[in-house]
Amino acid sequence: MEAKILEFCRLLRRGGVNISFTQIADALRAVSEVGFCQNDFHTALCSILIADRADKPLFDKLFRLFFLSLHKQGRVLSGRDAEEEKSSPDGLPAELAQQADGSGMGRGAGASPAILLIKAVREHNRLLLERLAEVAVKSLEPVSRTNLQHMDTMVVQAKVAIGWYEAVNRLERAKGLENIGETVYTGWTDSLGWLEHRIEQLLEDIFVSMFGGEAIEEMAEAANLKEKEFYRLDNLEIDEIRRRITKLARKLASKYARRYRRAKRGEIDLRRTARKALLTGGTPVRLRYRQKKISKPELAVLCDVSGSVAVFSEFMLQLVYTIQNRFRWVRSFLFVDVVDEATPYFKHEDIEAALGDAFAKTYFSYSGFSDYGRVFTQFANNYLAGLSPRSTLIILGDARNNWRLAEKDYLQTISEHVRRIIWFNPQPRDNWDKEDSIMRLYAPYCRQVFECRNLRQLEEVIEAIL
Amino acid sequence: MFSSIAEVQQKLSEQKYLIDRTVATIIFLALKLQKPLLVEGPAGVGKTELAKVIAGATGSRLIRLQCYEGLDEAKALYEWNYQKQLLRLHIGQVQNKSWEEARQDIFSSEFLLSRPLLEALLADESIVLLIDEVDKSDEEFESFLLEILSDYQVTIPELGTVKANRIPIVILTSNSFREFGDALKRRCIHLYLDYPSFERELEIIYLKVPEIQQALGRQIVRFVQTIRKQKLKKAPSIAETIDWAGALLNMGVSFIDEEIIRSTLGILLKYQSDIEKISSKVSSYIPE
Repeated sequence: MEAKILEFCRLLRRGGVNISFTQIADALRAVSEVGFCQNDFHTALCSILIADRADKPLFDKLFRLFFLSLHKQGRVLSGRDAEEEKSSPDGLPAELAQQADGSGMGRGAGASPAILLIKAVREHNRLLLERLAEVAVKSLEPVSRTNLQHMDTMVVQAKVAIGWYEAVNRLERAKGLENIGETVYTGWTDSLGWLEHRIEQLLEDIFVSMFGGEAIEEMAEAANLKEKEFYRLDNLEIDEIRRRITKLARKLASKYARRYRRAKRGEIDLRRTARKALLTGGTPVRLRYRQKKISKPELAVLCDVSGSVAVFSEFMLQLVYTIQNRFRWVRSFLFVDVVDEATPYFKHEDIEAALGDAFAKTYFSYSGFSDYGRVFTQFANNYLAGLSPRSTLIILGDARNNWRLAEKDYLQTISEHVRRIIWFNPQPRDNWDKEDSIMRLYAPYCRQVFECRNLRQLEEVIEAIL
Repeated sequence: MFSSIAEVQQKLSEQKYLIDRTVATIIFLALKLQKPLLVEGPAGVGKTELAKVIAGATGSRLIRLQCYEGLDEAKALYEWNYQKQLLRLHIGQVQNKSWEEARQDIFSSEFLLSRPLLEALLADESIVLLIDEVDKSDEEFESFLLEILSDYQVTIPELGTVKANRIPIVILTSNSFREFGDALKRRCIHLYLDYPSFERELEIIYLKVPEIQQALGRQIVRFVQTIRKQKLKKAPSIAETIDWAGALLNMGVSFIDEEIIRSTLGILLKYQSDIEKISSKVSSYIPE
């Protein structure tokens, strides 16, 4: 069992959870205290290994797959004790369990699955929901190893098979028609959420039973948001990254505040102290301090918003505007092959709404293909007056110029005008200067060029501009 | 101390504090492994209360350290009693004592003012040390805590190392006001206290407001649980559910309707915008 726990910790690490050596040692001790009763075992590991609440869902998922599905430890981890059985939310009363033996589905043999689904949701019938989940998963074609990469599509397919979208639509209409209260409706959405989650679980189980530990490892890795490249994120993950960026921003902002508070007054200013001392006959009654000047950088962000870079640009803008009090001012520009200023939209308090506005209302694309040369020309001609030698210019882009003119002289003009240019490239370093990427032509005019393709790297490079 | 998880549950319920097995397991582990227990969760779920009842259940004395911005070692650990030291020196001068003698004198434990942390280490009886709202303290204080919590000892330059007589039960609470360091987090056992389930909250209401009628209790809890799921500035805590139940009982209400909810919503919700939001749609939240 100890080896299994170690193996499990390794999996968690692959999934991006930080676990220290002491934590593992503590986990082993804890397990020896509580024993292998499944729930206690789960609680013990979780309370010690998971220091960040955001990692809890991943922990639960991997725990289930690793201990219950893969190693069939259900028996080693003895069942819940009797008292738990009754109070556990997933537990099913005996009479319902009997009814579930086919009768649920049997009755609906002629009905469409959507109607059954609606019935199950309205009655909170967990057993029927469970059956529906099974039906949904069975409807899928036999899975192959490569499907593992496309778990989300499979979940959608499974949902379609049981008439999910039809049912949701009808339930929403029913809410309006029958004047259903919030209390009941929340119950419905809970049931739907439960079903979706259950479908995911069943799918994961299939993969684990077919491909064993490798499948879990792949799933753990796929769940590691910090290492996942920006352009591969799905919508849910983008939301999660947004939350993490807000958190990161808060951390950066408060870090600054603390430093500012502590070091507001600098060293003793001897010259001014001595001069003041003359008033009191040479005795320095009051010390004079050197004021610490806090240099607030001026920041201009020039964002490529074409295709795969767009998500990254959005994250960056979100981050920069959340901590804008750390800058004297922030200006932002969006471009694909035309550049336009987006600053006014960020006067809006809600950053997400501001982002939506900026992307909808700025004019940044003529042909749809990036043209860095043209953008730099335009920027140097039109916007340079707004920047000063104190400004930092950040360029976000992959430097893929679609074989158009590089116009690097204009970038040079810009670089001579501002304090520094920092370039964040969301492409892997290996792909720079291949095909139409001309990073090497632009790099000499930048103070620093960073590779920035996932959250971890974003966290690292953001320090560079503060 | 506790010998089993079930005993934790039972002892705490004797203190009128109901917990489920998961929470009991975590408390049991923290005590067994002698590690600090870090309790997180929304405001008003009973984090501080938990420390109090653990003290009660284990027959320990509770020492509480409330954290705030700018809390430093002098206020948390120890401070020399300067006034007393000065007095001592003055008397020493009168008696013509040598510097060596005086120095020996004034840095003895007689002149030490122990603050909560040192008090917890020095105590002879069993202690529950509650470090409340640790997220409100500064980063420097946090790393200083780390030192104490890892070895249960501190070094006072003039006195030497002070080691805990008995390892105290340490409970830290946090509202996630700010993220704090990984190092401190990893040293703790984590307990996330969330709002209770429907059944649990009902039990709590029956326990704390025993005169309430079953049906009304159910209605109250159902309503509170529903509005908790709405987007509010501050969701009602357990304490507020209890207050509300108490108030309704005193008003002689036997079931809740729109009218009653509107007039008493201020007990549950603390922000005007929340109250407006809920009262505009009260009817849809009322349980059947």
